[in-house]
Amino acid sequence: MAIKDVFLEGVKAGWKVHNASLFTKDQRLEADVVIVGSGAGGATSAEILAAAGLKVLVIEEGPLRTSSDFKMQEATAYAELYQEGMARMSKDGGISIMQGRAVGGSTLINWTSSFRTPAETLKHWADQHEVSGLSEETLKPWFERIEKRLGIEPWPIAANANNEVIKKACQALGYDWAVIPRNVRDCLSLGFCGMGCPANAKQSMLVTCLPASLQKGSQLIYLARAERLTFKQGKVAELECLALDARGVETTGKRITLKAKHYILAGGAINTPAILLRSQAPDPYKLCGKRTFLHPVNFSAAQFAEQVNPFYGAPQSIYSDHFQWQAGAAGAMGYKLEVPPLHPAFAATILGGKGEQNAQRMAKLPNTHMMLALMRDGFHPASASGKVELRSDGSPVLDYQMTDFTWQAMRRAYLSMAEIQFAAGAEKVFPVHNQADYMTSLAETRRVIDGLDLAIHRARLGSAHVMGGCAMSNNPKLGVTNSRGVHHQIENLSIHDGSLFPTSVGANPQLSIYALAALFADQLASGFEA
Amino acid sequence: MPKMTYQLTRRGFLKLGLASGAALSFMTVTLGVTSLVNNQTASGFSYLRSQDIAMLNALLPVIYTATVTNNSAEQTTQISASLIAIDYNLAHLSPSMRKLTLQLFDLITNPVTRGPLTGIWGAWSTASPETIQHFLNRWEASRWTLLNQGQAAILQLARLAYYSQPQSWQLCGYPGPPNLG
Repeated sequence: MAIKDVFLEGVKAGWKVHNASLFTKDQRLEADVVIVGSGAGGATSAEILAAAGLKVLVIEEGPLRTSSDFKMQEATAYAELYQEGMARMSKDGGISIMQGRAVGGSTLINWTSSFRTPAETLKHWADQHEVSGLSEETLKPWFERIEKRLGIEPWPIAANANNEVIKKACQALGYDWAVIPRNVRDCLSLGFCGMGCPANAKQSMLVTCLPASLQKGSQLIYLARAERLTFKQGKVAELECLALDARGVETTGKRITLKAKHYILAGGAINTPAILLRSQAPDPYKLCGKRTFLHPVNFSAAQFAEQVNPFYGAPQSIYSDHFQWQAGAAGAMGYKLEVPPLHPAFAATILGGKGEQNAQRMAKLPNTHMMLALMRDGFHPASASGKVELRSDGSPVLDYQMTDFTWQAMRRAYLSMAEIQFAAGAEKVFPVHNQADYMTSLAETRRVIDGLDLAIHRARLGSAHVMGGCAMSNNPKLGVTNSRGVHHQIENLSIHDGSLFPTSVGANPQLSIYALAALFADQLASGFEA
Repeated sequence: MPKMTYQLTRRGFLKLGLASGAALSFMTVTLGVTSLVNNQTASGFSYLRSQDIAMLNALLPVIYTATVTNNSAEQTTQISASLIAIDYNLAHLSPSMRKLTLQLFDLITNPVTRGPLTGIWGAWSTASPETIQHFLNRWEASRWTLLNQGQAAILQLARLAYYSQPQSWQLCGYPGPPNLG
């Protein structure tokens, strides 16, 4: 079956796409709008601004990989398509952070779950963080527009066995559950969304907004890192970028200097605040990089008598928000329940265990079910939270500190997950923690969970959603940008990515990023002529 | 000479650790060690050095226990493939994460720090599987998060390298990605 490589065909047809690793001399370019980052926020903005007739230039740190490159192999996908070669983690190593880094950003490798920003979250932002103009009603047409653009709809096909567990158990237990909306068209249900979609079914930025923007004459430079902004009279004067080698690891020594009327940072949380920190951008209230959230995740594994084959099929299609809002937005921390796909290398690192123990766990991979709970961090003052710092080489690292309040939620989540897995017929359940192993009864599992020493490096934790660090708020003492994503101190600088969120979202964030970026880009475009 | 030197070094090492608390990075720890390290990469590798390879040749079979075969030729092939995969992954890490990883390797390969930190007092090539397993257990159970982190990093590198290779898939019942023709 021949699959059309949409992006490469466009490049052949003359799109202005440049590989900075091949630059043999320094470059100087101008545009109306320079956008840093080609993921959800950057590409959505690029499409809208280009359609409004503006000259747009997008800069991307990662490599260009297109459908013909996606071979569904963990060996290369993680190293090439993820931040820091999949080794990004919190400063103390306690939480692995999976973030994309390639043309298309995290949209290239996410698992396609596309939720509208929960109404409770929007209300919390308005009430507690002085955010205005982003109500459920205001955003509704933007969600609808993006959903139509990216083919987002609840997954119409039967869930794979890994996801079916949530549905089956929640039905039996009387818990809420629902079908996940996904951004796919003609999906083949392969299960390899996290390694780049080989069928161009996932409606990532690589096959949607970037092509539309390039078709309108936008330029894209990849393998170029936005290093620092320079300022003149309270405005951004230029953006200095460094060309990277073909791996996207080392700088080549060539510089790219970009000048624009307006600049948009959309490199994702962690990277966007890092650019501002490196640039020593005005930050009178020391907010930049603070209050960064992760939806930290803990895991529960289960073994079933029948095969689950957690490596095949749409990776996420069923979720439960039963425990998400029980104590209100700002009460005891809520969590969303989902499942991850399990391919061998990823599974081996999560399942852990010593030599033989790990081998035995891995030998049962086809019968293994994995569940995860995403902690809704940032809504309560006692929540875990992170701060972006710069290492000595200028690269960012997130110092994320867990709190008792957050651990309590994780303990509850271990129990919820075990209960659900047993209710769905699991033979054994393993709360993924160094002090636990597979157990055959809920009573025993509950007793073990109650006694677990909850600490980093004991409980295995991960994150695939980085949010906050450049929060929006009408009050400059609370946020880096206003409620239109424009920097409070720098009028020709906007932020259009997940770093805008004043708290975590409480749902997989891609659709929230698309909608905010689209709304803010539209506001920018209409203000441009004026 | 060794024992006295080791003890002094160990005391200095612990003092350093206590002084900077749990957030202490490998970089601080290895400041005094890196100058003694052979930084020449081994032939055929981009980042792994001969001392890393000797260490991994001893360590990987222990981490892979019950997965590597008893057939020594096959085992050599599996370990060689893992070494190549680890080197490939190192080449794609950010410079900071690669530096931290190589410093971790320095800590456990350098004769000065290896003994006190790992309990492996002789060369890696002569260490018994039991001693090596003891080292991994000790680092996992340590109250010192730096060692927990180091142990987790070693296991992660080793397991990503091993299970991303098709020859390991039969051991975990993974049929591999579908053929799209």
